[in-house]
This record gives sequence, structure tokens and C-alpha cells, in this order.
Amino acid sequence: MTRSKQVGNHKNDKKKNIAKTWKTKRRVKDIDQIHEDMRPENAGRLLKQEIDYDVPGNAQHYCLHCARYFVDLKTLKEHFKTKVHKRRLKQLREEPYTQEEAERAAGMGSYRPPKQIQVQTQEVEME
Amino acid sequence: MRIEKCYFCSAPIYPGHGMMFVRNDCKMFRFCRSKCHKNFKKKRNPRKIRWTKAFRKAAGKELTVDNSFEFEKRRNEPVKYQRELWSKTVEAMKRVEEIKQKRQARFIMNRLKKGKELEKAQDIKMVKQNIHLIRAPHAGKAKKLEDKMVQKLQEDVDMEDSS
Repeated sequence: MTRSKQVGNHKNDKKKNIAKTWKTKRRVKDIDQIHEDMRPENAGRLLKQEIDYDVPGNAQHYCLHCARYFVDLKTLKEHFKTKVHKRRLKQLREEPYTQEEAERAAGMGSYRPPKQIQVQTQEVEME
Repeated sequence: MRIEKCYFCSAPIYPGHGMMFVRNDCKMFRFCRSKCHKNFKKKRNPRKIRWTKAFRKAAGKELTVDNSFEFEKRRNEPVKYQRELWSKTVEAMKRVEEIKQKRQARFIMNRLKKGKELEKAQDIKMVKQNIHLIRAPHAGKAKKLEDKMVQKLQEDVDMEDSS
């Protein structure tokens, strides 16, 4: 509700070339796509992928909520502790925005507040 | 032909305006202008951007729940043309729009009343706190002081008399 202000992180390499990161070529998954992935039938498939030599870590260590591949289990676990991941979990706790909501806001139907969803970091096997 | 609504700001999109983005899962996103498209590319959440309709509704800035919002709908059944029905519908649309406008305006005016009250309370508080700037602290006390002085003198005189 409040105006968001950037705090820190001005020197991130990602921010240096924003035009490039917005290209459809380098497009990353949207929040609503991740909501789709979080469904049990999709989640199982994504968390147990076949070996693919083209992606980091041969697609064996995937963070479902951030849609990222990690090289090994250690980095994946480290990632779960980061701010990026926690922030993403918080974003995912709200029902995704849809065209339908846009139309409701435009006067085609009454306003309905977004639902809250329980989101937790995926379980990783202990070794 | 249909007047679509912008995905980001909910503004109407007339034919030949704005642009459409089709994501690689076939989902379509329509934008009324490049401003909305750019904000979408930045992956911003329309619920958190102040100037979108979605924000204004979510934050209670505008009328959210009302029967007048139940008329405009995406109806996917075509209706056979009847002259009478057509003219009646057009009349009804005008009337509904009029009522809707009135209700929305009233909602906003009522919302602003709260601010006026708070402002007044704040003003009163400020005057009470800084009253010394308007009225000198001893103003109106001169008479009282004089009375006191007279009394004291009287007492002194009495004392001298008795001694």
C-alpha cells in the first residue's frame, strides 16, 4: 500500500543493464506462472527433473519459488536463507493478479480482496 | 469488436490502440499504452502501484462494492438484433452510468470528510499549544495585580496603625 523505496542494492550487476533484462529473450517466470508450478502435480515434476547438461547443476537442484537452478545442494540450501528467496515467498503468499481482477477494478463487477496462500520453502533431503 | 481493459491500469483499450503481449504459454496481456507495458516488463504488481485502478480499489480510495458494477459484463452469447431492445439498452446504459457516477462521487466526498475533521482537530490542538503567540501570558491579569497591590498596601497601613 505504501510507496516502495529502493533500499540498498544499488550496485547489483542486474541493475546495470536493465533494458537487457527486460528483453523477452531473457524472460524469467512471472509470479502467476510460479503459482501454477506450485501445484502438487507440477511441483513434483519440477523438483525431480531428469539430468539436463545444459542447465546449472544438471537440473538436479531447483528452487521452485524462485525458478532457479543451483549447482549443488549446498548452494541451494544457502539460497533458502537469503533475502531474495524470503522476499519471493512473501510475494507468493498473495493470490496472483489476473486480467479478471483488472476488469473488476475497471467496473465490471465488485472488488474482491485477494486470497492469502500458505507458502513454505520446499523440503530438501538430508544427506 | 470489443473494448478491452488494460491488464495493468484497467483503462479501456479501443481498437487500434495499445499493444498485446502473448506469453509463451498462450496467455494474453493487453496494455493501453507503453507506460503500462514497461511496468509489466519490470514485473511490478499493479496492486502496489498507486496510479492503477487495482490499487485504488484495494486501498479503499474508490467505491468498491456496489450493484451498479453488476451491469457491465463480458457476455459471450450474441443476442439477435431487435430494434426495441437495442434502443432500450442504450437508454438503460446512460441511466446506469449516471447513477454510477453519482455514487462514486458521493463515496469520494464522504471519504474526504474524515480528513476535514482531522484537520480541524489538529488546528484546535495547535492553537491551544501556541496560545501565548496570540495572547500575552499576563494579558487581563493587570486588574488582578492592581487589586493585590491595593490589598497589600492596606495591610501595611493597618500594621502601622496598630503598632
